[in-house]
Amino acid sequence: MSDSILVIGGGIAGINCAMNAAKYGTRVYLIDDTPSIGGMMARLDKTFPTNDCSICIEAPQMYEVDNHENIEIITNTEVRKVKKINGTFKVKLMQKAKYVDEEKCTGCGACVEVCPVSVPDPLDGKVGGMRKLVSMAFPQAVPNVVTVDPSCRFGDMRKGGACIGDCAVDCSQCRECPIALCVKACEKEGKKAITLWQSNKKLDLEVKSIVVATGIKNAPPVGDLLGYDKFENVITNTEFERLMNAGGPTSGEIVRPSDKKHAKKIAWIQCAGRGLADGKGTPYCSKICCMVSAKQTIITKEHDASVDATIFYNDLKAYGKGFWEFYRKAKENDVRYVRGRPYEVFEDSRTHNLTLRYEDLDSGDLQTHEVELLVLATGIMANDRNKRLAKALKLKLDDLGYFKEKDPLLSPLETDVDGIYLCGGATGPIDIAESVAQATAASMKAVCVRP
Amino acid sequence: MSDEDIRIGVFVCDCGTNIAGVVDVPAVVAFARGLEHVVLADEGRWSCSVDYLSKMQDLIRENEINRVVVASCTPRTHEPLFKRTTKEAGVNPYLLEFVSIREQVSWVHMKEPEIATEKAKDLVKMGVAKAALLEEGQEIRLPVKTDCLIIGGGMAGMNAALSVADQGFNAYIVEKEPELGGVLNQICFISHDNHKSPAARVIKARADQVRSHPRIKIFTDTQVDKVDGYIGSYTVTLKTNGDESEQNLDISTIIVATGMQEIEPADQFEYGNDPRIITQLQLDNKLKFKQLGDVKNVVMVSCVNSKNETRGCCNIGCHTSVKNAVAIKQLCPDADVHILYRDMSLIKEEGTAQQLAKRLGVKFLRFPDDRYPEVRKQNGDLKVKIYDLLVGKEFELLSDLVVLSTAFKGNNSVEQVKGLLKVSTNPDGFFQESHVKLGPLEFATDGISLAGCAKAPMTFRESSEEGIGAAMKASIPMQKGYIETEGIVADIDLTDCSQCGLCSKRCPYSAIKVDAEENPDVIKALCKGCGLCAADCPNECIGIVHYSDDQVFAQVEAALEKAPAEKIIAYVCHWCALGGVDMAGVSRLQYPSNARLIRVMCSARVSMKMMQRPFELGAAGVLVAGCEFPTCHYIEGNYAAEKRLKRAQKKLAKAGFDPEKLWNVWCSAADGPKFANTMRTMIQDLGL
Repeated sequence: MSDSILVIGGGIAGINCAMNAAKYGTRVYLIDDTPSIGGMMARLDKTFPTNDCSICIEAPQMYEVDNHENIEIITNTEVRKVKKINGTFKVKLMQKAKYVDEEKCTGCGACVEVCPVSVPDPLDGKVGGMRKLVSMAFPQAVPNVVTVDPSCRFGDMRKGGACIGDCAVDCSQCRECPIALCVKACEKEGKKAITLWQSNKKLDLEVKSIVVATGIKNAPPVGDLLGYDKFENVITNTEFERLMNAGGPTSGEIVRPSDKKHAKKIAWIQCAGRGLADGKGTPYCSKICCMVSAKQTIITKEHDASVDATIFYNDLKAYGKGFWEFYRKAKENDVRYVRGRPYEVFEDSRTHNLTLRYEDLDSGDLQTHEVELLVLATGIMANDRNKRLAKALKLKLDDLGYFKEKDPLLSPLETDVDGIYLCGGATGPIDIAESVAQATAASMKAVCVRP
Repeated sequence: MSDEDIRIGVFVCDCGTNIAGVVDVPAVVAFARGLEHVVLADEGRWSCSVDYLSKMQDLIRENEINRVVVASCTPRTHEPLFKRTTKEAGVNPYLLEFVSIREQVSWVHMKEPEIATEKAKDLVKMGVAKAALLEEGQEIRLPVKTDCLIIGGGMAGMNAALSVADQGFNAYIVEKEPELGGVLNQICFISHDNHKSPAARVIKARADQVRSHPRIKIFTDTQVDKVDGYIGSYTVTLKTNGDESEQNLDISTIIVATGMQEIEPADQFEYGNDPRIITQLQLDNKLKFKQLGDVKNVVMVSCVNSKNETRGCCNIGCHTSVKNAVAIKQLCPDADVHILYRDMSLIKEEGTAQQLAKRLGVKFLRFPDDRYPEVRKQNGDLKVKIYDLLVGKEFELLSDLVVLSTAFKGNNSVEQVKGLLKVSTNPDGFFQESHVKLGPLEFATDGISLAGCAKAPMTFRESSEEGIGAAMKASIPMQKGYIETEGIVADIDLTDCSQCGLCSKRCPYSAIKVDAEENPDVIKALCKGCGLCAADCPNECIGIVHYSDDQVFAQVEAALEKAPAEKIIAYVCHWCALGGVDMAGVSRLQYPSNARLIRVMCSARVSMKMMQRPFELGAAGVLVAGCEFPTCHYIEGNYAAEKRLKRAQKKLAKAGFDPEKLWNVWCSAADGPKFANTMRTMIQDLGL
């Protein structure tokens, strides 16, 4: 009989769930399918309505779970199969190779420095973030080790200069790589932590309960939403968040993709893509985007008070404590709020400025507005990975792809399977504070399961 | 420990380029190496990263360092991390001094790298001077038993009680009304997604569970009258209505779940002048008791007393009005139902409810933020005038039922409970959690957690979840059997004590008792370390661990060693004022660099002597910064500080100093600009 619990997802919900359970005295496995815990919050610049620096308040919690004797963190790992036998969940995990020996790597970055090949960071999208083939997820990553891009294997990046010299042996067979620059650099530091021959690893766990904390994803702009595919200077609000972030691709300079010049005139479009046919856009209000945009305008104004910031919106969602005051603060900072939903975007091919056409709902007039940078608040959606996980856990998803609760009114956070609980973005659109509250409640349920 | 034994290690952080991009960190490190007692100074790119922390521990051990100075971001977020690191390296964590050179230097003097570097050196020098005088401290471990008091028997409270009791702990629910259920008792039915249930049935199901649980004891018609003690050993006195006798309980942890109430409109929308004008809760009540009658024209007005200068969004009004509009349409299909709104604030499935309402014929009309509908009575008819934003026209709706979606405030017991537990509230009359993002279910005070509508208006489901979450917070120490409290506490040296009793009288936590021989005695577990007693003691015989007079004066002297006439000594409280300073930093507000900040836990710690000493050393000015009124993390330390400031000005004048050079600012943790502006004005007025 196991007295441990499994928390799936290492974002702010998973971290809080694990932390509470561990303090209670329960042993916790905290898994994440990316190389570091931290989740969405680790990529944000600030949090509303206090404008706390996001990583600054999250990192201490990340280190706390990392240091807690009752918690084992397993990253880059997916759930493959779960079977419940006599009240115990037998869980089969697959740990994707990082091609790095986690025990030996100290995150010194010597390998990153020598790696000559940079590839676009998919998480930074259009704002141009690049990362090396061997890289750390972000500076505060936990565990603080690098990951090698799988495309490096079998000398596949040799053309780019990642390996010097020839090699006839298959990476998976070799135990000493004479040609990869990262391997050499690591050896020079005396660590031998990079292991290109590493293979995926199967892990088996036994736990008494499981908490699903897989989080949400940012809704991608679908089709050519408001010129997103066609025009360089149309970006999503997540990409804008990366622009603002001192740790982001532009070191916090709010510059537009086309010419890297500081954007002086910026517009935000709320509910971008909402209600599009075929379930392509978010069919609902995502709850947080109004405050995200208020935050982004306030921070933009703090960077440069002369920036002209306009928010096009429909229904203002200022639902939480201090949120309305936060919206007022944006207005006091001369952020212009216009009721209306732009329906067309044109680009001036010479200046790469964008012109929006919209109906001003207050006046009923058709208007145009020209900006240098356009930000789309596309909302948040259920995580793509939910489907596969639901199958493994034998749980149901709702029409929107979120995990279904047994009875959200009488047994919140419980699922059709006894001993499996939900929290955070797995249940629907949600903000950080609500995720933390739910995670704490889910941890209560999970530790109380009697094996 | 003799002087020669003091071995200080200084760790200066680059924070990537956050610090190193402005401050010449290698120069600061080199400067630190030259300071007395410093045996090692090191630069770290990311001091908080796991690899640097272990390097730091290695360096501490290798160099036999016994005092640690970390110069990096802000103690508000990172002190616990470095304390743990220090402790794991074998150094008592109270021998760590945290110096803030990001929020107080690199982020706020970005355009003056040389000046910023000099200021960083000064701050490090002050940190080292204090570190040399630091003394070991110790966490105080307190046993915690398994009795949990839950104030409020609504949904959050009942869920909390069940979660607590299911673990075998004892739960005591105190409900001031005769029935369990709270505000839900006034509601007809609740819904979420496709789930819908009469509220009465939900209450009954939970109340039955609660009543039949062997570990839950319920006190209805009862109020908490007195709370004495602290986590692990509270004595709680209950008073039941119509019963003269009192009841005492021994309690270990407390959950506050006191709920909320509607704010009835006053002289607005003709409310109170006609029984056909009611609030949304009153409508729910009518629906519940099937007293709606035959209505033909229902008009609902949203955002009554919400989203204005003083209050935010009520959070639940839109969803409630849609839900009730549907209910009316189902009862009276021929009735015209209008919802007049500013913003339809509905999320996820709530949008589906709105579509259903529209299908049933409910009409949604939007009015401008600054042009609310008007209700008037004419020849016995009710008329609602609205400017429809979409059509751009004003017209009147005839109505036989006007429903106002009002704002909410914390239940009327909030003030009383706040006083008993010494916890914070916000201006809206709700309890204030410890951190809006990461501490949603607890107060700053150990052992007291918070759930449901006592914190902010929320849905039934959110309340239920919070009840369970708050139970977890309360259960952790009950399960462990103890808590550890921080060792920053008052310590009385009786040698010079004149037994005046002032300390005992002034302590906001009743933590200083006078014994049979009239000697004061600190109950350390109760002491919060604000330092009010120490600052007021006429014989200067009270010390505060980590904030002793000697340590503070060492910082002052180090700061003023060079060019004192250009410098300001700023005493800043750890909570809101330092929060404001940090906010100014995070917001990159640029302000003059003359101030040298000295952190104290509360502005009440700053004694008259601390206000005067910098002037004796030639300082240009002194600033005392504390929390904005009425907030104070030590109940009313800032009020005490304000009074003392007035007295200090008189004293300064007598001693021949210009009292105008003693400044104060009371600023919130969100108010970076206020702190930055204070700095600018001070510089101007002091002619620097």
